[in-house]
Amino acid sequence: MISIWRGVILSTALLLPAIALSVVEAQERFPNKPITLITPYAAGGSSDLTARVFTTYLRKYLGQPMLIRLVPGQAGQKGTLEATQAAPDGYTLVYTDNYRDQLHRFTFRIDKYDTNQDLVSVARINYGEIGVIVRADGPYQTWADIENAARANPSQIKLSHSGLWAALFVPAQHMMQIMGLQFRMVPYRGGGPAKAALMAGDVDFSMAFPATIAADIEAGLVRVLATAGPERIMEGVPSFVEIGLPPTTGYMHRVVMGPRGIPEERLAILRRAIAELQSDEAYLATMRSLGENTEYLDGLDYEKVRLEQQREYRELIESIAGQ
Amino acid sequence: MLESLLAGVEVALRVDTFVWISGGLLLGMLMGALPGFTTSMGMSVLVPISFLVGDPLIGIPFLIGVYKGGIYGGSVPAILISMPGTGASIATVFDGHELTKQGKSRKALEMSLFASAISDFFSDIFTLVMIIPVAAVVLGFGPPEIAAVMFLSLVVIAVTATGPVIKGLIMLGLGVWVGFVGADPFSAMARYTFGTAELYDGFHLIPMLIGLFALPEIFNAVKEGDTPGARVASFVGERLRMAEFRKSIRTIVRSTVLGSSIGIVPGLGQPIAAMMGYIAAKNSSSHPETYGKGELDGVAGAEAANNAVNGPTMVPLLTLGIPGDAVTALLLGAFMMQGLRPGPTLLSSSGDIVFGILIAMVLANALFVVIGYLTIPFFARVVTIKKSLLIPVTIMLAFAGTYLARANPFDIVTLIGFGLIGIAAREAKFDVAPMVMGFILGRELEYTFGQTLALAGDNWVRFALTERLGMTAVLVATPIIGILLGRRMHRFRVRALERERIEAA
Repeated sequence: MISIWRGVILSTALLLPAIALSVVEAQERFPNKPITLITPYAAGGSSDLTARVFTTYLRKYLGQPMLIRLVPGQAGQKGTLEATQAAPDGYTLVYTDNYRDQLHRFTFRIDKYDTNQDLVSVARINYGEIGVIVRADGPYQTWADIENAARANPSQIKLSHSGLWAALFVPAQHMMQIMGLQFRMVPYRGGGPAKAALMAGDVDFSMAFPATIAADIEAGLVRVLATAGPERIMEGVPSFVEIGLPPTTGYMHRVVMGPRGIPEERLAILRRAIAELQSDEAYLATMRSLGENTEYLDGLDYEKVRLEQQREYRELIESIAGQ
Repeated sequence: MLESLLAGVEVALRVDTFVWISGGLLLGMLMGALPGFTTSMGMSVLVPISFLVGDPLIGIPFLIGVYKGGIYGGSVPAILISMPGTGASIATVFDGHELTKQGKSRKALEMSLFASAISDFFSDIFTLVMIIPVAAVVLGFGPPEIAAVMFLSLVVIAVTATGPVIKGLIMLGLGVWVGFVGADPFSAMARYTFGTAELYDGFHLIPMLIGLFALPEIFNAVKEGDTPGARVASFVGERLRMAEFRKSIRTIVRSTVLGSSIGIVPGLGQPIAAMMGYIAAKNSSSHPETYGKGELDGVAGAEAANNAVNGPTMVPLLTLGIPGDAVTALLLGAFMMQGLRPGPTLLSSSGDIVFGILIAMVLANALFVVIGYLTIPFFARVVTIKKSLLIPVTIMLAFAGTYLARANPFDIVTLIGFGLIGIAAREAKFDVAPMVMGFILGRELEYTFGQTLALAGDNWVRFALTERLGMTAVLVATPIIGILLGRRMHRFRVRALERERIEAA
């Protein structure tokens, strides 16, 4: 009996310093456990897709896995709120976009958080250019067809979107504002269901990021009528500038942010890991195969972009309110 | 669709999936076998485990194992101590316990296992076969049709609720109202939140379910205390002979068909299937007088019917997001926590995962027989285990599980709040299942109805009559189905009451 106790005490005495040492060491290194990336989007959309790709390859540069946690709901407010309330220890980050970050402050009464004060950019992963899409077997061949139809029948042409003031809604709002049109806006839970509604013939047109509909275009089911930006990104498809929209309309920046207050050295580690990812051939190839660009921007630079966006969205909302 | 079916076969054939299904089956049988611990309670305390493992192909098959195991496990105390382990095994008591009194408990338990496993297997195949055409039809459904089907489901649940219709309606209405709490889905205006941030998202399904299903049962178990060990359970007598089993094949087939068709209709559930399966077996027997006096065929009729419900409930759940009962409501929560939203587009967006889960469900039945057979003697003894040992573990699981799921302290408040509602409802003899249905379906109805209004524009009469005949057809059929089903249920209730009276006499 005594010998058992002696053994227990002896082994404890030997183990304790070892445990203590490993704890100290573990505390020093960041990250020493998986990082959670809150993605406030529905499964299967372009944000979910790109998040899955970059988190897979980022593991190599972080030394720890980055786990995606889907928290869709309330136009992203649910997930964003969760991120702003998380401890600023670098282990909880959020995948967000310019609309959630800068536009929603004007469109929703958000009093639970202020993204400018609560969130800091880690890095922009890439951006998406929205496109106007119709069914390939439908009556609309060009953007002008839709524009004319909408002018002839105000509030009759139906558009499926992914939720109030989200990625498909904002460009449509810009169009209505600038072109003086009125569409009938039908909400769906995310880009996937919005596309399904178009395919089922429930609505006349929709919007989508070309990357998410590459397969449908190839199968000849969907036609793209225009894409965002000043330049053409698809052959034979006019750009938004050509159809009379400003060059910034319809850009969605996909950004990793974290609660403000993450220690500088941890933020630097996170930013460096994503910067290193940009020279990973496998990552670049996978993004390319999805039709996604890899226009990365460091967090420090993106912080400046945020301010410009805020000004632009304030103007948009004021002009809508002014009508 | 066929491609994802093949992909599903591939993803389902994983060792870890089967290890977890086995674990689920064992835990489910244990929960079912414990008298006073129902499957819905077992599921609700185990749901958080399913999303803590992260992978939907492990977590969901695990829960399906619990579901199957629980519905079967409930027959063990029903047979041994005349106390149905879950509502699903009420009809098993009639003959099962008689057999125990005659010293033939082993035969009864083995018949229950084989009838359950076989009907489960064939109903799962039926599910796989049905889900493809149903999903194809549903894929053509837009918001108007879904709104109409949601409305129909609410009506069906209201008329088929157990107990008085008015109580079912009250609970259904309460559930719909609770679903309104939080930001409205279109304009994000806060409703009934009293200005609190926690209620802005509305109530979360998982803590609500654990509160409504687990806490009242724990409370009840505490209140009753340990049952005196006078009723000794045992596992005695000869084993089931092949000839005896062969005599019941017709009954098993009949009950499987009955149970499967009941399972595909949301809201009916296992207890009704078990009663109908039992009555049908008795009515078509050449010797109905032996039923209720220790007839093996009666056990087979009831047990095959209740297990046949399990698989087909997945059809409305996965294709429309309509849970058939409390247990499938929990499964719905588990799917959503994994980022899979059951609905018309689920099969096209995540077909491989869904088919993987369904195929794992079919294959689980092989494990079901083996595990069930090996553990009958064990579960036969579990029936008499002291509750004072189990209750603390269950309380711990309920609270820890709730918190671990999202690490949100408010979930504990939700758990306790709905736990109190559940206890009050139980004391007043209100069934909480319609409340959960109201909560889930009400929110869905609100959203799809809002979409329908946006689609219809001003001229909704023209919209309903020219563009959306499907929706209009469902809406016209709703009162007819409601009345017919209501009458049928009424007759059924009267008959069940008469039975009880005869039995009592």
